[in-house]
Amino acid sequence: MAILDADTSVGYELPQIARQFRLEHFKRADEKTIHTDTEAARREGLPAPVAVGPQVAALIFQQLRVCFERGWIEGGKCELTFRRPVFVTDFCVAKGTVTRREETADGVRLHCDVWIENQKGDKVIVGNASGIVPRRHG
Amino acid sequence: MAQDHVRIAEDAKGKRATYDEIEVGQTLGSMEWMVTEDMINQQCEMDMDYHLWFSVDSPWGRRIAPPQISYRPPRWLFSRAYNVRGLFYKWELENVRPIMPGVTLKVTGSIADKYVKNDREFVVYQAEAVDPEGNVIFRTRRTHVLDFVERTAPRAGKGIDSGIKPEKI
Repeated sequence: MAILDADTSVGYELPQIARQFRLEHFKRADEKTIHTDTEAARREGLPAPVAVGPQVAALIFQQLRVCFERGWIEGGKCELTFRRPVFVTDFCVAKGTVTRREETADGVRLHCDVWIENQKGDKVIVGNASGIVPRRHG
Repeated sequence: MAQDHVRIAEDAKGKRATYDEIEVGQTLGSMEWMVTEDMINQQCEMDMDYHLWFSVDSPWGRRIAPPQISYRPPRWLFSRAYNVRGLFYKWELENVRPIMPGVTLKVTGSIADKYVKNDREFVVYQAEAVDPEGNVIFRTRRTHVLDFVERTAPRAGKGIDSGIKPEKI
């Protein structure tokens, strides 16, 4: 059952999805990459190995799937900006709020601000997303 | 030997693409891509998200893939055209229909834009996937920064990592 529906108010806080990342989460076979190897990262100007962006953004996608269920799979939209690197041992938490309702032919599209904070409270990924919820009957 | 504060000039997959070489409007071609049950399992494991729809069954008659599995094919198309390591900067995506295992999708991409901001070089590429009936499954538009290091730094040295990866999950 989706958490959001046509009765959801603007300002509603989306459920938070958190994950403690570890280096092992980003390893693929024996490849040395900027995600797994300190020297590979340093040569690209990075101070340390960085997390794979889509794996971090997946916290937001999980949040949106929980919130919209079917309305995320069919008609879900998202625009994210990776503002600063997430390091491979960072703690990350996806947060968000409902910002706007839009009547569409398919139902009500709820727009949200979404973001991911690291353990310092820095917003490392920011953006907006939307999904469809069924219109009320009667 | 690594040098400090340079933009990497080459890696094991060859010379890195430069900003000037990237042509706005250029097609990235197309590829056929079929999600398998194994690929769905790997995606769920990577994201630690094991929803019933991704693991067992869904309202669409069988299990479906997490929509973000769509990240890779457009990146592969980009990598086939240009050797860019860099970092992911922006990700726009639209989930139009569910991605089903065993269905061959045709993914087509192009270079949409490029620009310089904060002394760094950015390239924008876009892609769309359709099923065999011509239904759009997903659309995406991404922005990639060519280097973490500023564009005023010289290109020199060899990188260990490459943007060109094995085309698998």
